[in-house]
Amino acid sequence: MRQTVEAGPPAGAGSAAARRRSPVAVVLATAAVALVIVGFAASVGAFPESWNFGLADPIDRTRRWLINNQTSHWLYTVLLNPVTDLADAGIRQLETILRWFPWYVYPVVCGLGLWRVRGRLAGALGFCGVVIIGMTDLWQQGFATLALMAVAVFGSLLAGIPLGIAAWRNDRVAGVLRPTLDAMQTMPGFVYLIPFVLLFGIGRVPALIATVIFALPPVVRLTDIGLRNVPNPMVEASEMFGATDRQTLRLVRIPAARPAILAGANQTTMLAMSMVVIAAFIGAGGLGQDVLRAMRDIDVGEASEAGIAIVIMAIILDRFTRGIATLGERGRGHGPGSHGDGSVSAADIAAIRWIGAVTALVALVGGIVGHHEFPEWLQWHYAPYVNDITAWARDNLYDIGSSGIGTGPLSDFITLYLVTPLRELLSGGIPWPAMIGLGVLGGLAARGVTLGIGIGIALFGIGWLGMWELSMDTLAQTLVAVAVTLVIAVPLGIQASHSDRFQRLMDPVLDFMQTIPSFVLLVPVITLFHVGRIPGIIASVVYALPAAVHYTDLGLRRVPAEVHEAATSFGATRSQRLRRVELPLAAPELMVAVNQVIMLVLAMVVIAGLVGGGGLGLETVNALRRSDAVGRGFEAGIAIVLLAGILDRLTRGVADRLRPPAAT
Amino acid sequence: MGAAMEPIVTVSGLWKIFGKKVDAARELASAGADRGQIQAETGCLVAVHDVTFDVRAGETFVVMGLSGSGKSTLVRCVSRLIEPTSGDIDVCGTVLADASDAALRELRRSKMAMVFQHFGLFPHRRVVDNVAYGLEVQGVGRDERHERAREVLTTVGLDGWGDHYPQQLSGGMQQRVGLARALAVEPEVLFFDEPFSALDPLIRRDMQDELVALQLELQRTIVFITHDFAEALRLADRIAIMRDGAFTQVGTPLEILTQPADDYVRAFTQDAPIAKVLPACSLMQPLGDVAIDDGWPRTTETATLESALPFLLSSDHPVVVCNAEGNPAGLLHPDDVAAVLEQNLR
Repeated sequence: MRQTVEAGPPAGAGSAAARRRSPVAVVLATAAVALVIVGFAASVGAFPESWNFGLADPIDRTRRWLINNQTSHWLYTVLLNPVTDLADAGIRQLETILRWFPWYVYPVVCGLGLWRVRGRLAGALGFCGVVIIGMTDLWQQGFATLALMAVAVFGSLLAGIPLGIAAWRNDRVAGVLRPTLDAMQTMPGFVYLIPFVLLFGIGRVPALIATVIFALPPVVRLTDIGLRNVPNPMVEASEMFGATDRQTLRLVRIPAARPAILAGANQTTMLAMSMVVIAAFIGAGGLGQDVLRAMRDIDVGEASEAGIAIVIMAIILDRFTRGIATLGERGRGHGPGSHGDGSVSAADIAAIRWIGAVTALVALVGGIVGHHEFPEWLQWHYAPYVNDITAWARDNLYDIGSSGIGTGPLSDFITLYLVTPLRELLSGGIPWPAMIGLGVLGGLAARGVTLGIGIGIALFGIGWLGMWELSMDTLAQTLVAVAVTLVIAVPLGIQASHSDRFQRLMDPVLDFMQTIPSFVLLVPVITLFHVGRIPGIIASVVYALPAAVHYTDLGLRRVPAEVHEAATSFGATRSQRLRRVELPLAAPELMVAVNQVIMLVLAMVVIAGLVGGGGLGLETVNALRRSDAVGRGFEAGIAIVLLAGILDRLTRGVADRLRPPAAT
Repeated sequence: MGAAMEPIVTVSGLWKIFGKKVDAARELASAGADRGQIQAETGCLVAVHDVTFDVRAGETFVVMGLSGSGKSTLVRCVSRLIEPTSGDIDVCGTVLADASDAALRELRRSKMAMVFQHFGLFPHRRVVDNVAYGLEVQGVGRDERHERAREVLTTVGLDGWGDHYPQQLSGGMQQRVGLARALAVEPEVLFFDEPFSALDPLIRRDMQDELVALQLELQRTIVFITHDFAEALRLADRIAIMRDGAFTQVGTPLEILTQPADDYVRAFTQDAPIAKVLPACSLMQPLGDVAIDDGWPRTTETATLESALPFLLSSDHPVVVCNAEGNPAGLLHPDDVAAVLEQNLR
């Protein structure tokens, strides 16, 4: 496994290049070896501390100045404070309105909504889900989260759809916007919080703004793509009838792009959800804050209740927004005479309308009478049971029967044999000039000169920021987590691609896992693995697993059936077919899987700073906790962005290189 | 298919060149260079090469060419869906090159309509809203445009399908919707861009017959693009054969069949099952002052030559071709038929 870790993406690129232009590859490999040897010989070690550019101090000074002038300077009084106040008032107002309605309206409305878009079972589960949130006495926090979410999603859509239209309309706008969105999507959500904390301090408004921006890319991108993919004959037909550009946009393009725009809105909603939860770090309140507080106290029971409430909310929002996106599609399904709506019959729709009307009436009456709070007699906490299980797990699973098998020994194994050696190797074992040299060579091999130079500058920048060792710590954790994820995910993906039944079995599980906001995943993991670097790595693996399985499956399934048959007709065994035909053909997709996994793992490893993950994450967490650490946090944030950028470009470069020449 | 004489569409000296070195490409093309040579030297594609024609009111003008011959580009230039490189186009008295966007829109709203190869229907709109689209764009009120749309749907045989979505209909039905959508705005000129080529052969045949019947009734001016020579023969008053962006021959089906301009055109005529395709009216001579005897065999305008052959062989007289009302419209002479069939065999 160690081999895989060290080899990583650059070596993969080298071997891909070797197939096409071996002399260059030989030169590159020789140069790499020479660099390492020279570095060792000179015993250079880690990036010199004295070269630190010292960005932290000016940032901290700025922060102090901002705090001191928050009530007096025109920048605040004229520009920022009115915006802040308006946003805050908006959230507060929405929360007040949400709280005014009687409690029993919410499970019914959620149930009806899900019933309408996904059928009876979904409706019933939605109803129960909302009741569970109330039962565990998280009603108020739920509203706080929901109100912040709603305003943020509204803001993202309000900004994102016009931006998407602008990108579609004007290629120059698109040329600027697309790389920006790419860069935005490689940045872990956590990092978004730092600049807004710097500018606004802690509270709901910086959380709101960070969420709006973090959640923006999918809706912009999918609006743009949706509008571009409107079939040309439709547009020509519209023009041919003398429609103005605006008429064509309103009557043809936007309705035709509706499914894509709604899919974007769904993804935006889910990103907003995960961000709002993380934003508890900077005082956004709501359910995230309960998880955070409970995790600080290592009260797994409490954390589970809040975490499950978040998961329930996320799943309801996901299924509902996805349902809306596909509703129109199914409404005009194929085949003459079908007016059907998938699983929902006309009788059900009529019933939903009736119950909905009655509920609206009851909501008004109940609100006036005042059934605002979730009643106490319905409350029931399961936290104590969870704590019992946790205690049992700690006592019994940590080291099962002192046999050396269990979460403790596993944890020790990963630490001692994987993370620690790799960290030591990266953060000084290999001399820093050699590391930068390897990065540059990797870039050269994966894409070309531009990427090589870019990576060199980025790595140098990390050192300059004084974040070399912390970044290498984070990189080591990331690489280990990626390797573990792939070792688990690739066989699952292969199995799923070979067996439809296995895929059907896995799909709902993966789907469920993907809906869980990253932060919440830490809760069960610390139950089993205490704190430290390992829970972060385990949580990263769990977090990135669904995407890895999905892309592996997808890549292998794209291999044409004819190619399968051809391989089989030559008498290839199943494993020969897999090794010689399927995996090489699916290689680009698998590399995309690696890219996705790296991005997800990195985001999680950073958040794991909260549970003692160390590295850049810890600096970021500190910045958000203590105002005097904002400068360091800012530096760490930039280092994370640089690291993410390097890994993203490298893996994407390799993926492109692996594509067969015919396809390019 | 009597056509009045004044032209509705006039095109002269039309060029469409894709690429940057337009002038160089045009010079080469005028000097007789072929497409490959021009492409190699200038990087330009000459899609439409100095095309001139006019279409008279009520006439069906068919442009026939193989794929890549530039026929789709031609029809898009004439409707200005794409900008021609140069040349004059006049539709219903409006000079298209000078028309402002607003004037062009007005022309499209009131005078032109197009039926597309892949239908170009709007999947998010019901059939009736698809058909009413042109009227909606013009600002016609909801009730009025729906009423008109349902009328036209009845005309094309889709009575009662208005509330479905297009993708719930078969291919042939979808193209009827496309046709209805074009007819709903009562255009003077109808452009058809290979409307039936995406349909399977039997449906295609039905649609052609229906278009012929519809045209006898409506008498629109039609510009029809096709790659199917048999389809051209079946529908056209006049055919233009297009090759490498230029017209190689323009003429009535009879002229094309009996006097092909070159070997390229002749190759088409030899493959065409003309006896099955040509309607009797395409070869008929005017009645003039010939006294028609009641004993002479009779056939209809839309009947094929093949169906008239037994009469021609068994009679010493010409066959009387009757119009839809049953009145004599012209005479079919055995010599003409023999000439065409002979040409076909050569």
